[in-house]
Amino acid sequence: MRLFRRLSFGRTEKEVIELFREHLNTVKMACEVFLIALETDDKGLFNQVCELEKTGDRLRREIALKLYGGAFLPAMRGTLYKLAETVDEILDMLEDTAIDYLRLNLHLEEDIREMCVRVAKINVKMSNDLIEAFNALRSGDSLENRTVKIRAREREIDVLRNRIYEKLVRRNVDSYWEGKILSDFIDHLVYVSDIIEDAADLIQILNVSLR
Amino acid sequence: MLSEVVASIIAFSIGSNNTSNAFGVSVGCGVLSFRSALILIGVFVTLGSLTQRKVMETVGSIAHLNGELVLIVLVVSAVMIVLANVKKLPVSSHQAIIGSIVGAGVATGSARFGILASIVLSWVLSPAGALLLAILIYSALEKVVSELPVFSVERLLYLMLILSGVLVAYNTGANELAAALAPVVSAGMLPPLEATLIGSASLFAGAALLGGRVVETVGKGITNLDPLSGFSAQLSAGITVLLFTFLGMPVSTTYCLVGGIVGVGLLKGVRAVRVNLIKRIVSMWVVAPLLAFSASYLLTIALTVWT
Repeated sequence: MRLFRRLSFGRTEKEVIELFREHLNTVKMACEVFLIALETDDKGLFNQVCELEKTGDRLRREIALKLYGGAFLPAMRGTLYKLAETVDEILDMLEDTAIDYLRLNLHLEEDIREMCVRVAKINVKMSNDLIEAFNALRSGDSLENRTVKIRAREREIDVLRNRIYEKLVRRNVDSYWEGKILSDFIDHLVYVSDIIEDAADLIQILNVSLR
Repeated sequence: MLSEVVASIIAFSIGSNNTSNAFGVSVGCGVLSFRSALILIGVFVTLGSLTQRKVMETVGSIAHLNGELVLIVLVVSAVMIVLANVKKLPVSSHQAIIGSIVGAGVATGSARFGILASIVLSWVLSPAGALLLAILIYSALEKVVSELPVFSVERLLYLMLILSGVLVAYNTGANELAAALAPVVSAGMLPPLEATLIGSASLFAGAALLGGRVVETVGKGITNLDPLSGFSAQLSAGITVLLFTFLGMPVSTTYCLVGGIVGVGLLKGVRAVRVNLIKRIVSMWVVAPLLAFSASYLLTIALTVWT
């Protein structure tokens, strides 16, 4: 019976928390695979990022089903689902970036590639910070340090984005589509950090939602 | 026989309305299914009515009533409760029952004003007590939850929600149902155990057949209240009614709940309290027993003249 299942001290809630951990680990893994793919120009690894996005979709669906099946109080449910959606959005954005790269079908100039790799490295660090923030939410440790770190890294990426565009505007492109896809690739790559920051904000909102 | 039927109708009506007092928030939140809430209602209402007899004794001793007078008291009460439900007015079953008992008692000269005075005093003190208790509970909880991880807070609030719901269900049997059955038992029309079992069954039927609709309304209506405030108000109401039940005083859970909500509202600033709603509730708190009193008094006089 549902009542007794609930009184077994939140088994469904524990399952949801485990799914979130898996979801966040998938994001970290996707960021890492993306970084290696970019560093080595390995097309197969970019395809692996797309596969990880599918895993993310499955996890988001499972979280949604458990949440709306009655896990957690409604005061938290909406924000938890929004967090699952936002985490999934990170994976969607990584997939879009990977597809852009595959579509580009050209070699990036070394200095631009180097800055893109730096952005991807920061994304990996931010995905790790996000996992730490979620763990702090569970353990009751201070969230402040983690979220400040995430915000600082996001600003770092904004600076890099401006530098990349400074280089890009001086670059010639062969067609409208090459320019568009290149611009989309850079925008998507830097936008990953914005979504990670949004997810960190939601973790902070969750932390105060029942107080 | 007719009096027993009318008492059962009142118990049925309490069941349809008080299910929401006990588990409206839990079912509305999706924490409990309606079926689980019904099982808890059935178990704890019966337990409350079987283990507590003081309220029944107090209400039964307000006035000496014979079979015809019991019928008048119960019909007046039932009509008032049903009308209040139809008009969606916040009328407690206690006020209707006690107002009409006093009306019949005054008309026949058997009313005991000392007991009535202590009941009226408990009607004033119980919402005030719930108000103060809600302030204490909310302040204490606020300190506790600030130290805990959010997922532990969620678990704590979940358990409190179930606990306060169970408490309100127990009080419904021990206090509200006891008051409804008191006229029938005090007139010797049914033995206490039999009355309790019939009353609990009628109340359960009311909860099962009509409770779901009310629970849905309350559950949706209360979602704007943050969990900590809602639980503090409900727990304070449950504890207050339980204390008054031990003292043998018939008090309303709804009014204590209002007291609790006002208490939490005051902590958050007077603007958080909906003054117009409170005025409406307080006016019904005065008008309802007077209406029941008048109707019962006039019917008893008419019966006396006729016979």
